Amino acid sequence: MRLMHFLLGCLLLFPATLLAQKGRVVTGTVTSMQNAGLENVTINEKGTNNTVVADASGKFSITLTRDNSVLVFSMVGFQTKEMAVGSSSNVSISLDTDTRELEGVVVTALGISRKERSVGYSTQSVKGTDLTLTKEQNVLGSLAGKIAGVQVVGSSGASMGGTQKVKIRGVNSINGSGEPLMVVDGTPISNANFGGRNGGDFGNLGQDVNPEDIESITVLKGPTASALYGIRGQYGVIMITTKKGSRNAKKLSVQLNSAVSMEQVGDFIPLQNVYGGGSSQTWRTLGSGEKYVDMAVDESWGPKMDGTMARSVFSFYPQDPEFGQLTPFVAHPNNVKDFYETGTTVNNGISMTGGGANHNFRISFNDTRISGIEPNTWLRRNNLGLAASFDLTKKLVFTSNINIAYNKGQRPSQGYDGGSRYLLQWFQRNIDINRLEEYKYADGTFKNWNLSRPSAAGVMSSYKALYWNNPYFEAYENLNNDNRSRMFGDVGLSYLVLPGLKVSGFARGDMFTQNIEDREAFGGRYVPGYSTAKYENREMNYEFLAEYNKKFNDVSLNLNAGGNLYSRRYTYLYMATKGGLSSPGFYNIAASVDRPTVTSYLQRKEIRSIYAMASAGYKDTYFIDASIRNDNSSSLPLANNSYWYPSVSASMIFSELMKWKPLNYGKLRLSFARAGSDLSPYQTTPTFGVGGIYGTTNTLFVPDNQNNPNIKPSFANSLEAGVDLRFFKGRLGAEFTYYTQKNKNQILNLDVSGTSGIGSTVINAGLIENKGFELSLSGVPLQTKDFQWNVVFNIARNTGMVKELYPGTNVYALDVNTYSGVSVYLNSYVGKPFGSLIGKAYQRDSATGKILLGTNNMPLYTDATHDFGSVVPDYTGGLRNSFRFRNFDLSAMIDYQFGGQFFSWSKMLAVKTGMAEETAALNDKGKNVRDALVDGGGVKINGVLNSTKQEVTVYVDARTYYRTTLGTHVYEEWLYDASYIKLREIRLGYTFGKRVMQKLPFSSMNLAFIARNPAMIWQKAPKGLDPSELSSGGNSISWLETGQLNSVRSYGINLNINF
Amino acid sequence: MKTIIISFISLLAITGCNKFEDDMNINPNLPSTSSNTQLIANAALYLPGLSTTPQGEYNAQFLSETEYPNLSLYNQVSFNFYDLYTGPLMNLETVLKAQSYNGNEGPVANQIAVAKILKAYFFWHITDRWGDVPYSEALKAEANFTPKYDKQSAIYDSLFKLLEDANGMIVTGNISNDIIYGGDMTKWKKLANTMRMLMALRLSKIDPAKGTIQFNAGMAAGAMTANSDNFVYKHLPDAANQNYWYGQVFGMNRSWWALSKTLVDRMKPTADPRLAIYGEKTKALPQDYVGLPYGNTSVINKDNYSLMGTGIWKQDAHIHLVTYAQMLFAKAEAAKLGWIPGGDATAKTNYDLAIEQSVRQWNNNSITGLPAMMAHVDVVYNPATALQQIANQRYIHLFMHGYEAWAEYRRTGYPNDMVSPGGKAVPRRQGYPAPEVFNNATNYQQAIQTQFSGQDNLTGRVWWDKP
Repeated sequence: MRLMHFLLGCLLLFPATLLAQKGRVVTGTVTSMQNAGLENVTINEKGTNNTVVADASGKFSITLTRDNSVLVFSMVGFQTKEMAVGSSSNVSISLDTDTRELEGVVVTALGISRKERSVGYSTQSVKGTDLTLTKEQNVLGSLAGKIAGVQVVGSSGASMGGTQKVKIRGVNSINGSGEPLMVVDGTPISNANFGGRNGGDFGNLGQDVNPEDIESITVLKGPTASALYGIRGQYGVIMITTKKGSRNAKKLSVQLNSAVSMEQVGDFIPLQNVYGGGSSQTWRTLGSGEKYVDMAVDESWGPKMDGTMARSVFSFYPQDPEFGQLTPFVAHPNNVKDFYETGTTVNNGISMTGGGANHNFRISFNDTRISGIEPNTWLRRNNLGLAASFDLTKKLVFTSNINIAYNKGQRPSQGYDGGSRYLLQWFQRNIDINRLEEYKYADGTFKNWNLSRPSAAGVMSSYKALYWNNPYFEAYENLNNDNRSRMFGDVGLSYLVLPGLKVSGFARGDMFTQNIEDREAFGGRYVPGYSTAKYENREMNYEFLAEYNKKFNDVSLNLNAGGNLYSRRYTYLYMATKGGLSSPGFYNIAASVDRPTVTSYLQRKEIRSIYAMASAGYKDTYFIDASIRNDNSSSLPLANNSYWYPSVSASMIFSELMKWKPLNYGKLRLSFARAGSDLSPYQTTPTFGVGGIYGTTNTLFVPDNQNNPNIKPSFANSLEAGVDLRFFKGRLGAEFTYYTQKNKNQILNLDVSGTSGIGSTVINAGLIENKGFELSLSGVPLQTKDFQWNVVFNIARNTGMVKELYPGTNVYALDVNTYSGVSVYLNSYVGKPFGSLIGKAYQRDSATGKILLGTNNMPLYTDATHDFGSVVPDYTGGLRNSFRFRNFDLSAMIDYQFGGQFFSWSKMLAVKTGMAEETAALNDKGKNVRDALVDGGGVKINGVLNSTKQEVTVYVDARTYYRTTLGTHVYEEWLYDASYIKLREIRLGYTFGKRVMQKLPFSSMNLAFIARNPAMIWQKAPKGLDPSELSSGGNSISWLETGQLNSVRSYGINLNINF
Repeated sequence: MKTIIISFISLLAITGCNKFEDDMNINPNLPSTSSNTQLIANAALYLPGLSTTPQGEYNAQFLSETEYPNLSLYNQVSFNFYDLYTGPLMNLETVLKAQSYNGNEGPVANQIAVAKILKAYFFWHITDRWGDVPYSEALKAEANFTPKYDKQSAIYDSLFKLLEDANGMIVTGNISNDIIYGGDMTKWKKLANTMRMLMALRLSKIDPAKGTIQFNAGMAAGAMTANSDNFVYKHLPDAANQNYWYGQVFGMNRSWWALSKTLVDRMKPTADPRLAIYGEKTKALPQDYVGLPYGNTSVINKDNYSLMGTGIWKQDAHIHLVTYAQMLFAKAEAAKLGWIPGGDATAKTNYDLAIEQSVRQWNNNSITGLPAMMAHVDVVYNPATALQQIANQRYIHLFMHGYEAWAEYRRTGYPNDMVSPGGKAVPRRQGYPAPEVFNNATNYQQAIQTQFSGQDNLTGRVWWDKP
């Protein structure tokens, strides 16, 4: 819609300036109901072509061409108002928000703006102001709950810009991959991800878009909407339009935006405080008879923390003041919590907009500094944006958008076996974390809690960490550093050939350099090491587009044709030391003891495309569209690399025919499209692998994955129907869409029996079908002069079904994870919904369904073959309420998900290692479950004895039950429903009134209290696990939680000032 | 307007939009041609993995778990063999089926012979662990994603043939990139014939007639004659080529393995000089060699038991796969069984020499303590208990080559004091890889039906394992 204004401005400017000399000048200000200056409002002298646009502070100036003029103030998102000017030379007007958008303009594929009524498929938009409600830094994260059918799976704020993952309309590929294409001002940008399940989560690269620069986001949900993106649009498109300056702005307008927030860990798995470190309740003793805490065991199955005097691990360090002393063995209930700090986020942004008769521009700069909740973690981010447009001649317009982003971070590790995550997995409840904070003694000896046991004489054989480093050693010595420079943007020329015919050409680029460094420090548990990697990506798009608009009486015509050349060059260089580092503190590849590991990589890809789209309307009531695109991809084999992707759609504005007064707008729409996707380069010709080097002998191997010279692109066929309704002058609106999407001939890495000599092969196979609906309701339940209440509610349901796989195969293995010899799988089966979770379940009595108990009364479990059902949620959506009362505004964003499930390792390990609360609970006899069975202890379980088929209630040893049986084998116990309702964002703002503003040099000012992620309202999973934050780096499906970072609550204030 | 659009589209369409630079989709990051000897060298990198794996040591009960007992309790049923097919075997198959060979890497016949010998070694290992496995239809890539399972007896026949062929085709001339024997083909030849003898002995219960023929054929063709002929994988003192146990014990700080009581109690009474190599003395006083009862699940103090010897887990440890001593034990047994002439006399000679060569192999060619041990009543060759003595001494010799020792245990029943942890008997085989259930369903089902009455578990017996 920005573009539309821009075009209007361009087209109308010329006559307006000519006429201006005849009349008088009227100036004024347009404001929102919150008294903020409204940028980009179109002011038209009614009945003429005389139009101007308000500047960033809402100011405008118009030269009237008639007497008794009436000015029409209009802007998308606001109710249009008219005002008779009379004799005044200065007017002020306030526009009311319009959630109904009676006659909106939508941005469609390739950035083509079209009248909403002419579009025959579903699109949904979010305004920039709704995305930056609480200053969420990752643009994809701020979409959560705001668009029906868009599922966002996030990650904890602790990773500072961690992964936010989007799936549109369910999972549309059998291998679970497939992300929507991100497009900023027409430029496709990379949303790659360098994170994994373990280690630092560097986040999705789409977060390099500065949220403050965003005017609006439009999501093209299905192939119909994205058909014009052809091979890249199969999984939908997220189109971002950035803010621009306005023509004829009278002065430079400056916006300042500051936010400060504090972050705290908000959610912990409840832990027990009765038993301390060890594997047995019997004390270990030195030769002297002194009891000592078993520092060689990273579990809490040890003695009762009853104040017994014992040697702590610190008492074995001669450097320690406690050396040789006995100290009381007591619980440190907050020893996990106390490790975390209060984080802070400081965000400052400035933007300047301006424009003259033949140009406009906007410059913005943003600085974000985050200090994380994990010690010694931080992130700095800078964004610089420039958007400008110049009329070189009356018909030739030059435009450019440049975005520069720089990120630099030192992030915490997540997952298993890295960083501090183990504190909830393998730890002792008696350790005083504050004693660990000074992780080095004065003589440089590292202080550890986990060591090999002392000799009987109390002498330590080694002070080297046994299984786990001191968490502060992890935080201050084992550093993960990353930085990224990014630039994306475009330059373009457009030329108005004839009235209605415009041709334009663009060069678009997206480049980044991502550096990742990792240290394994001297003196830690592992061989010291260092790795450094540089990833460089350059993606160029050269684009041509011709647009033609014409209206003949009742018929309107819109024609577009264009072409695109895409090229990508991606390289990386990864180097890691091997066998240790040559000198302490020297973290460099040159310090590698053995020959370092070095990988250099180059990837090139091109896609050449042409496309055309035609749309015809009749009486502004009936519309029909057709589009076609031809893509030629270099990564497909020559014989199969050229494909056509068509779409057709139609809409009818039936409200025009019904003339039923309460219904202001009613549209029926129907569409069909085909989109596609190709594969990464280099999968069509055979290669050999480079194997290990033995001495001076190099080796080669036959790769496990076999390439395929006959691969074809995959296709998605989608059919979509919907209705859009607006009632009561827009007080109530509804959009409903039903769709089916069949994704055929998927490009899969099909796992085959390894006995064939290969592990998997690239293949075209399979069919996955998704059906679903999306409903979006919006309304203004209450509206008075002082008070307004707006509601937007989104809900979407998607059901996916794997219909076919490779002939003869009915299982597709997506992922597997093995721990302690026990595996869990993510598989897809023919005839079942996508993504079944597979693992060991309880064996159950066929008659009663009760758990079968073995000879020792322990539950029996199945092999890792039990299908627990699909990982994909049934319903997703969100609810946004916003209230305005005089100068106050209040917004609350809730998002939710019903269905879906995941396994949790964190919970499993917390139980396995005797740290979780339930492992030291009281049983129904009032005894601790860890008390001896003869004393009335034990965990009470009910089941059916396998031997006799008799139902029994028995008490079993807590450690054998939790540690050996459940915590190792029974994944059924660690499977959780992922349903949740989450309060994600709250903002309470106050806009200062005119009286205050007169004393200040600003034109408007808003101060707000903001809260991000303040509360999980409801969830099915147990406390301490956040089902909305399961993203694990680049993995496309979140099914296994293996040590996610703790959920973070953030509270702050936000100040917006307009000069 | 339409004409403009149409002509624009046709223009683009005609200009051959889909032709890209020739090498655009050719991967520049990986080689597209190979060297056969480098493929063989890569296959050899998998050899230590056949030996240095905890489960093998547990099945032979060489080692006990000091902490976190799990795999030693025989909890795991399904074991993966995919890595062996997709890794070394596919490399070797590619060499055997190669269209062209590079003579600069040594005589082509010798390249092929080495590939055959290694293929036989890997398949021998596989079939002994799992039973019937895909063989004749395996390793054909896209030509067959669901290979049938061949009978173990048929696989043995094929492997004998492979070894016989290899022995026959070897010509003079070293091959390059040989990380096992440095290209010395006479040693490969001895290995092939020694393997043939050892494989033949596996048939002692199921088919002694065939065993006798193959044993004698292998022996006649020229077996190993010294420890320097041993088939040994030598780890290197660098992180990329280091011993698995080094990574565990040193890298991961895991002193999780002690010598089993079964082993120590067999070696200590005879003052076996190898014990000092196999394990460490206890940290607790009095420092001595103490084995940890196999399958123990209660919490113990590691100081009271002998942990794995430092020479065993050191970074550049040697992994002995097929040895001269093993061959001598085989000859001793064959003589006792009457497969070769000479009876007890020949058996004794070979038995005594086998023990000596074993001590030399383990103790850096030193025989200090050997005469005393040889004089011990339990060690002195006794015709009445010879088969048991040979088996028990072979068991000690095969220390840390768990899967081989376990196979010999299954065949001979010795040592006869193996423990059943938690009531679970020593496995008779390993379960097929879990993914076979869905990747190769029909053939898998057929295999477990015909061999093990539909049960894919640890108790089914492979073909040669007769009660």
